[in-house]
Amino acid sequence: MKTLLLLILLLSSTATFSAMNHGGMIMDESGMIMNHNPDKLPKDCKEISKDVDITIRGGHKFVKGFNGKMFTYDKRDWQVPACARVNITFINEDDIRHQFMLHGLPGYLYPKGMFTIELYGKGQKTGSFIVPSRDYTYYIHCEVSTHTEKGMKAQLKVGEGSGDLDSILGLTVPLTPDYYPIHNDRFTWAALAFSIILGALSIRWLNNILARKMKKTSKPT
Amino acid sequence: MPNKVFYYRLIPVIITLIALAIWLQPAFFQRTAGINLPDGQLPQLSKPFVVTKPCLDEHPEWRAAQTIDAVTMAESLLCEPDNPYNIAASVKGMNNISMRTLMNTHMAEDALIKSDDLDGDGDPDIIRIKLEVLELNGATPDSPNVFPTYDIAPGIQPGMWAFSPKLRGMSVKNFRSNKANAILRAPSPVIRIEQGDKVYITLENTHYFPHTLHFHGVDHAFQTLNGGDNDGVPITGEKPVMPGAIRTYELQPRHAGTMLYHCHVQTDKHLLMGLNGMFVVEENRPNNWVQTFNIGAGQVRYSSVAIKEKYDREYDLHYQSIDKNLAKTIQESNDIREISKQMHRVYNMSESNENYFMLNGHSFPYTLRDSLIIAKPNENIKLRLLNTQHSGIAVHIHGHKATITDYDGVTQNPAAQITRDVYNLSAAQRIDLHLQTTNDGLHSYGEGIWLFHDHVETGVANDGISPGGNMALMVYESMLNPNGMPMIRKDALDDVLTNSYQNKEKPQWGKKDPGMLAPDYVHLILWGLLVGLIFGLLIFIIRGLSKAD
Repeated sequence: MKTLLLLILLLSSTATFSAMNHGGMIMDESGMIMNHNPDKLPKDCKEISKDVDITIRGGHKFVKGFNGKMFTYDKRDWQVPACARVNITFINEDDIRHQFMLHGLPGYLYPKGMFTIELYGKGQKTGSFIVPSRDYTYYIHCEVSTHTEKGMKAQLKVGEGSGDLDSILGLTVPLTPDYYPIHNDRFTWAALAFSIILGALSIRWLNNILARKMKKTSKPT
Repeated sequence: MPNKVFYYRLIPVIITLIALAIWLQPAFFQRTAGINLPDGQLPQLSKPFVVTKPCLDEHPEWRAAQTIDAVTMAESLLCEPDNPYNIAASVKGMNNISMRTLMNTHMAEDALIKSDDLDGDGDPDIIRIKLEVLELNGATPDSPNVFPTYDIAPGIQPGMWAFSPKLRGMSVKNFRSNKANAILRAPSPVIRIEQGDKVYITLENTHYFPHTLHFHGVDHAFQTLNGGDNDGVPITGEKPVMPGAIRTYELQPRHAGTMLYHCHVQTDKHLLMGLNGMFVVEENRPNNWVQTFNIGAGQVRYSSVAIKEKYDREYDLHYQSIDKNLAKTIQESNDIREISKQMHRVYNMSESNENYFMLNGHSFPYTLRDSLIIAKPNENIKLRLLNTQHSGIAVHIHGHKATITDYDGVTQNPAAQITRDVYNLSAAQRIDLHLQTTNDGLHSYGEGIWLFHDHVETGVANDGISPGGNMALMVYESMLNPNGMPMIRKDALDDVLTNSYQNKEKPQWGKKDPGMLAPDYVHLILWGLLVGLIFGLLIFIIRGLSKAD
């Protein structure tokens, strides 16, 4: 009896481990997709307007050219029409874990409002979601500790979007920027002094021109 | 000619312009970078970039086991092995060696005299030792640099003092060099004598400040036979030994163990300056000639009879620290009154920090030159540890668990001896370790190049730049190069062997510093024109008002 129970337990546990699909998650040993939705329409969409296929790559190598950062996606700004079905192929080019995590989707279709593809190492996965109709900018990032802050942040605009997000590499300035010292030399201060003198002298010239005009106008009388 | 009203009307204009100028003021000294961060730049070096060789290999012939004046010493596979002539002289005494040996040491002819086999057991029992006080990296009126130079790590030359055996000849390598002779170094030499020896230690104060000798844990009477000071404490004994004066202390230790000696004048400062050393009393055995000086501590190439009975190798490990502010006091003035004022009055020990950490007078990476623990599998190794920092240390040897056999020179009951992998030593403490290289998963995890270091992390940095400090290596012979350096990655020491790294000027991981931004000239010039306009207008109004009456 005991062994039978154990066997059942063992079998059920291995079965759930190899391919879990519950709570909106599809998991295997290489990663997971959360809230994959290829068919359920948002309330405000009558039909899928368009199928958009997006391939997004993530990893350290894409940060080349962006100083002082460590990880990012190959492209960080995407735009799709309202009610589009977005088929994301996320490719992780590093050996470590990365995520494509999108926030702001309606909770009744996407628990926690998220669509996520997580890759435990090098590899790729494809998942789909259908966006609602309103113009909105969705926040995409990698939530692995420090990755968002050090460059792995992007945005997806539906329709016209609702503006740009802060601190997206190559696109927008950070909300809390670093301050860097300015490399001033003698020439900098000379340029400043020269422009001040020039400004002061311009009043004199202006006055001279005005005075000449006044003379001309006052002559006939 | 415009009237006053015309000028009064210009006042709101000028106020508006001033407000505009405040609003549009450019960033003069720092600003944000915008969307893309600046390219960064390699830092400007304050001193020319110098890469030091890991091993100078000056005396490869000193490494082999050899016999000099009938003293047969163990081999030393280090990059900088101890001078075998110093060892022969330290074992036999200057009175029992050949002229050739004497000429190959830098010790004076009366630095160590060994005589009188009082108990007839085949070894000398009257030992006369003479010590001097030396200064390293001190001020000199003849140069902006320090003299004589002694690098604890590449380009790091803190001011230090040390006791040394009474010396002979030049203190520098040669007439054109500022480098201290090899025998002038930190730490003060380990002094080794045999239990029961009658030891006369004379302090010859060659220094410019008063000093004494105090023997900590070494059996000695409070006064010498004829009533002289024998504890070295100016408050309880005689006045300190003044510059140019000498005093002889008398010891006949009845108890063996690892002890220490230090200066007891202004002890807080003078001890931290380096006037401290290890003092080892070896157990009495027949025919037991001991190596009285172990200059620079480290490997003992001629162990006592009692140690040879139990152990294959013996190492003296002396941990010291330096407060850079205290060290500076002897580098910034050539007037001894000023030095005294700065050291004993201006400098405040209660606000002290330790900045440099040394093992046997060197900081990493120079510890690799002369403070490796070299081992083979299945050996028994004796380590004597002394801590003369004012902070505690927690020494850890990677891959090994050793047994603490002695605390402060007293053997622990064997049943109560503790085997562990972190060895705590508070200030002035000593422990003796029995390190076994048996690959049994407990005492040793096998052959390797195993780091050993203080695990109080301030101790593994040179003034906060890491790796540094008292880090050293335990290296198995199979992983040691013929020049005494461990078989580590070729580029492993590239960073730490440069002075720019030690100056904190080389960015970590070879990356650039964030660097600076260029001035925004368009903004700056437009703003300058605006400010000029305001000044011009102001002058125009003032002049106009005074004329218009």
